[in-house]
Amino acid sequence: MAIHKILFASLLICLLIQSSHAATKERLFSDLEKSALEVTATPSRVGEGVGVDKLSITWKVSSTATKEPEFKAIKVKLCYAPASQVDRPWRKTENELFKDKSCPHKISSWSYDPAMKAGQSFDYTLERDIPTGTYFVRAYAVDTKDHEVAFGQSTNEDKTTNLFSVQAISGRHKSLDIASVCFSVFSVVALLVFFVNEKRKAKIEQSE
Amino acid sequence: MAPNHSNENGSIGSSLHGVTAREQIFCFSVEDGPSSQAIRSDDPTAKFALPVDSEHRAKVFKPLSFAKPHMRAFHLGWISFFTCFISTFAAAPLVPVIRDNLDLTKTDIGNAGVASVSGAIFSRLAMGAVCDLLGARYGTAFSLMLSAPAVFSMSFVADAGSYLAVRFMIGFCLATFVSCQYWTSVMFTGKIIGLVNGCAGGWGDMGGGVTQLLMPMVFHVIKLTGATPFSAWRFAFFIPGFLQIIMGILVLTLGQDLPDGNLSTLQKSGQVSKDKFSKVFWFAVKNYRTWILFVLYGFSMGVELTINNVISGYFYDRFNLTLHTAGIVAASFGMANFFARPFGGYASDVAARLFGMRGRLWTLWILQTVGALFCIWLGRASSLPIAILAMMLFSVGTQAACGALFGVAPFVSRRSLGLISGLTGAGGNFGSGVTQLLFFSSSRFSTAEGLSLMGVMAVVCTIPVAFIHFPQWGSMFLRPSQHEERSKEEHYYGGEWTEEEKSLGLHEGSIKFAENSRSERGRKAVLADIPTPETGSPAHV
Repeated sequence: MAIHKILFASLLICLLIQSSHAATKERLFSDLEKSALEVTATPSRVGEGVGVDKLSITWKVSSTATKEPEFKAIKVKLCYAPASQVDRPWRKTENELFKDKSCPHKISSWSYDPAMKAGQSFDYTLERDIPTGTYFVRAYAVDTKDHEVAFGQSTNEDKTTNLFSVQAISGRHKSLDIASVCFSVFSVVALLVFFVNEKRKAKIEQSE
Repeated sequence: MAPNHSNENGSIGSSLHGVTAREQIFCFSVEDGPSSQAIRSDDPTAKFALPVDSEHRAKVFKPLSFAKPHMRAFHLGWISFFTCFISTFAAAPLVPVIRDNLDLTKTDIGNAGVASVSGAIFSRLAMGAVCDLLGARYGTAFSLMLSAPAVFSMSFVADAGSYLAVRFMIGFCLATFVSCQYWTSVMFTGKIIGLVNGCAGGWGDMGGGVTQLLMPMVFHVIKLTGATPFSAWRFAFFIPGFLQIIMGILVLTLGQDLPDGNLSTLQKSGQVSKDKFSKVFWFAVKNYRTWILFVLYGFSMGVELTINNVISGYFYDRFNLTLHTAGIVAASFGMANFFARPFGGYASDVAARLFGMRGRLWTLWILQTVGALFCIWLGRASSLPIAILAMMLFSVGTQAACGALFGVAPFVSRRSLGLISGLTGAGGNFGSGVTQLLFFSSSRFSTAEGLSLMGVMAVVCTIPVAFIHFPQWGSMFLRPSQHEERSKEEHYYGGEWTEEEKSLGLHEGSIKFAENSRSERGRKAVLADIPTPETGSPAHV
């Protein structure tokens, strides 16, 4: 009977936690002020080649921005273009901000004060865990509660212009490859050695 | 009285002989007389650490001992199986990193998951024969050491195709399920083999849970040494690879094929009549119950294998947990195997004591259906605590169903016991491949929807258990046959042999087994009115 009480109590607690979670997460992307920021992103090298790639990013507050007094910080993020979201539900764009997964890579964050209306310009070196894909850059303006109030992006609303692509590092290393081959060979050879040895011992014993 | 042949090591069908807890060991009992079960003072069995029967199989199960050769074989067997589970599902908790490195789509990931369980369908079927020919040690070692290169070759993977190919090749090592069960069956006597196999199977399956914890941890440690994430995950695969090589060497050096020694150095004395593989195969395939069990296991073990592949990524994506935390949650699914699977076998045994085989069938249906219902709930849960609760209840139900199924399987056939166990095992992998292909390989369903739909399919595919009918014991809804002949266990098991074979006395093992299986009548077992079969009475009674 005690087990029943414990199970019922834990079920009740779970339900309470669930209902309390529901209230707070209603902030939507569509509520944000569009184009409050003007963002440009230019890759520093176009085309193939080996090496480290940079993005030159600029952002500034657009003249049409109305929520500018609320801005407390500017967060710049690397976002997936639709082509990189196909058949990849973990990168899906959702209207609810807390569910949205299309902008997972943080580029940088700037504390904002009204003197910074003219914006910033900086270089960003791509991290080595950025996957292969097509991207654009988006800057969110957040208020004191760390809630997004406005944004701007380097592409148009349909996300079709000014996209750039990134080729990820493969993560393969010669040393890894060599170690892998060595251990594989060792595994097979060890097995064969045991096998042949035992067969030979059995033959010797039988002939005695 | 001709000594029974089909109990000899090496005969086809003996691969998993002993899986049932009901077999009488009578290989030497006819000649040895009433003291065959006792240890004599001049008997070489006195050199074993555990009490043994006349075939030198242990009569006692001591999980904390490592005594040679019985308990050592048990531990080497289940740990090898455990290691293979770790390797097969090692990619699953790291998928969030791998999918970024290789630019995988959901279809790619789903297909690789299907591939990871498909290889074992064939390798499990082949492993029975390998164990018969080369012994359990080499069966296990082959599986471990020949698939280790596949594990290491994750360092070469550069795209979806090679990822799929490597996961397919790693999956072959799940054949250690068969070699592990074979090994315990030759080392432990019939009365306790149910518990021993349940423990070996359950503890080995735990590997699927441990890997969800182990791989993110190893990945994290390697990243701390300065490696990029895209290199760290590749290097992380070296750990399961090392484990496989180490276990392979331990199995070969510390293990022993049979209680008396190794297969190649033992001289096989006496007649060994190998049963014809074609006959064994035919009787396994002809029996419709084999196929019902194939489907059933596909939706208990199959569901479990699928969950091993998808659950970590599900918690990572849906509830925004870190790789590490998602791994912990996912691990608890697999870890429940430690007690859930033996519990299922135990529940089946208890039900059999009270209600006979009908009790076993009802237990199996109840456990599997309840597990599947909780799977439906898991897919619908939108908050983390509810999802975890649903997942835990689901894991216990499904894994207990796996244990309960192997309480029924040994009674389906005596002659084709090994092959049926192999086919059932393959059914588990087949079911996993089907569910992953249908529900988790395209963007048609979200993972949450996929889980619920898989639960629905499992409920539907558990209904066939109602159609398993034994004339001598009944089924879920029908009573045993009242017919004079068909209500006897001997008729059912004797039916697997032709008259010609019966005249040669080849079926005696089945008759003995039939006598022992009388316990499946439950409390109503009345031994007195069953006449002794004319060819089966042991001389020493």
